[in-house]
Amino acid sequence: MKITKNIALSCKLLSAHKLRTALCISSMTIGVAAVIIMVSLGRGTQKRILDMIHDMGTNLIVVNAGHVTLLGGRATQVTIATSLKIADADAIKSQCTSVVDAAPENRSKMNVQWGSENLKTDIAGVTPAAFRIRNIEIQKGREFDSVQNDAGQRVAIVGKVIVDKIFHGEDPVGYQIRIGGSYFEVVGVMKAKGIDANGVDRDDRILIPLKTAMHRLMRVTYIQKIHIQVADSTQLKSAETEIRELLRERHRLGDKPDDFTIQNQATLIRAERDSSRAMTLLIASVATISLVVGGIGILAVMLTVGRERRKEIGLRRAVGARRRDIRTQFLLESLIIAGLGGFFGVFLGTLSSFLASKIVDLPVVQSWDAMGAGLTLSFIIGLIFGIYPASKAATLEPIEALRTE
Amino acid sequence: MIKIKDIEKTYSKNSVETKVLRGVTFSVQRGEYVAIMGASGSGKSTLMNIIGCLDRPTKGQYELDNINVLQLDDDAISALRNKKFGFVFQQFFLLERTNALDNVLLPLIYTDEYPADAIQQARKLLVNVGLGDRIEYFANELSGGQQQRVAIARSLINNPDVIIADEPTGNLDSESAAEIMKIFSRLHEERRTIIIVTHDRDVAGNAQRILELKDGQIKG
Repeated sequence: MKITKNIALSCKLLSAHKLRTALCISSMTIGVAAVIIMVSLGRGTQKRILDMIHDMGTNLIVVNAGHVTLLGGRATQVTIATSLKIADADAIKSQCTSVVDAAPENRSKMNVQWGSENLKTDIAGVTPAAFRIRNIEIQKGREFDSVQNDAGQRVAIVGKVIVDKIFHGEDPVGYQIRIGGSYFEVVGVMKAKGIDANGVDRDDRILIPLKTAMHRLMRVTYIQKIHIQVADSTQLKSAETEIRELLRERHRLGDKPDDFTIQNQATLIRAERDSSRAMTLLIASVATISLVVGGIGILAVMLTVGRERRKEIGLRRAVGARRRDIRTQFLLESLIIAGLGGFFGVFLGTLSSFLASKIVDLPVVQSWDAMGAGLTLSFIIGLIFGIYPASKAATLEPIEALRTE
Repeated sequence: MIKIKDIEKTYSKNSVETKVLRGVTFSVQRGEYVAIMGASGSGKSTLMNIIGCLDRPTKGQYELDNINVLQLDDDAISALRNKKFGFVFQQFFLLERTNALDNVLLPLIYTDEYPADAIQQARKLLVNVGLGDRIEYFANELSGGQQQRVAIARSLINNPDVIIADEPTGNLDSESAAEIMKIFSRLHEERRTIIIVTHDRDVAGNAQRILELKDGQIKG
């Protein structure tokens, strides 16, 4: 008996019992859709973490002034210290062997004004090193350099939100804007980055030279943060120790506790991963349950079918079907159900995860291998839950089957 | 062509043993039309199932065309049923929701080589049993007599050596029954071997030879 004829036969039989087949296919569809959604969301979360790494810069260590703790995956300042200085950043860069570069930073929420428009936004005082370390790209205009930074020039690089809200999309390069009490010349526009993992809009921001920020706007002598780039990821741990020792010595801490907090990328990423793990687990369990339910659906239907079709099995055996022909037929039927269910499931899952990403802004990444995995899984389930009814039908003696009332 | 010797069949249910056949011996020549008669419970259906290789005897010997049937494995017996026998049952056993043509074609699905002219053959058989105008009808749309005629066409599609019919007229009115018996007589004239099982003396009267089964043994 040829396989193509087998398939044609099974299709005929399945289409003869449309409702039963449809119910079975739909339970499979739901299971596979759940898996697709799970994989897409998992991928999305992973991508979000990778984006976060890229956004932060690679091989990064962050030194915060005072005590900082992680609350719900987000670094939160608990105490403020005034002991962290620009000189500390310079010392870290020049004295720590594993450190490539260091970018000190101070930021504050301030009012920005242009003509009659004004907006409260995040003003970050940075040194040119920040552009490299933190992957900040300029879309229009240019960066400011260390000469401008040291001179405390009033130049600003604005984010997309500022361009949209204050300049209504007009090219702002060359215009004068007012930040706090001073006028700044817009020299560049940052490439849009969107909303980060913590829901902060990375485009709602203005970069100005650190010295200008400290002396003119914030009027402080200390800094809040240093972003430090380490030569490679294997040195993160040793660099952290090096930096801690250097800072403790420079701050003359003796046996007092640290007046700064060091975070490396690994801990930040771990925090992010923890917060997304619960979600992933939940979806994974829902997907597993749906798939098993789909499989049991197939099992139940195939068993009922086997019982209902005893006479048919008997007749087929009488006219020459071997046990393996009956087994193949039943198995093919469950595989066809599972395959169709898988196909519709891939479609439904892809569609709904696409909608989820559009409507509720969940991180979703569609991929071919997720679809492949969904289909493969449905075939495996079809095979597993199809084998038992198939072999049960096949072991029936022809005469027993024919005698069924 | 069929040689059956000392066949016994015992059924055991709930550890109670029932001996249905108690040493049956007979043979059938090619082209013969034989009726096996007996009251219900005489073991005639069991005997027919053993001849048709649907069931195995507890004891005895069975040779079909010099093949020792009882030594074959399940696959070989399935192939044997497919090639050598055509079955006609009392309850017709057609596939519902399947048309007459596909029902007739069913045994061919399980042959080694599907004949290229299968559909023409099946149509011809249906025309021969007088169902030329019912070829596309579903089994459940046909009357009992028509269904049995589809079943006869099905039993002939693989050109079997032996046609085995178990109470073929048992579920039919006398008019349809007469038509079915006419078809069997015609098949006999075409030199086919026919074994028919019945409790009806009139039906058995169509055959060349009658074997009467009583208490699991052949009488006389």
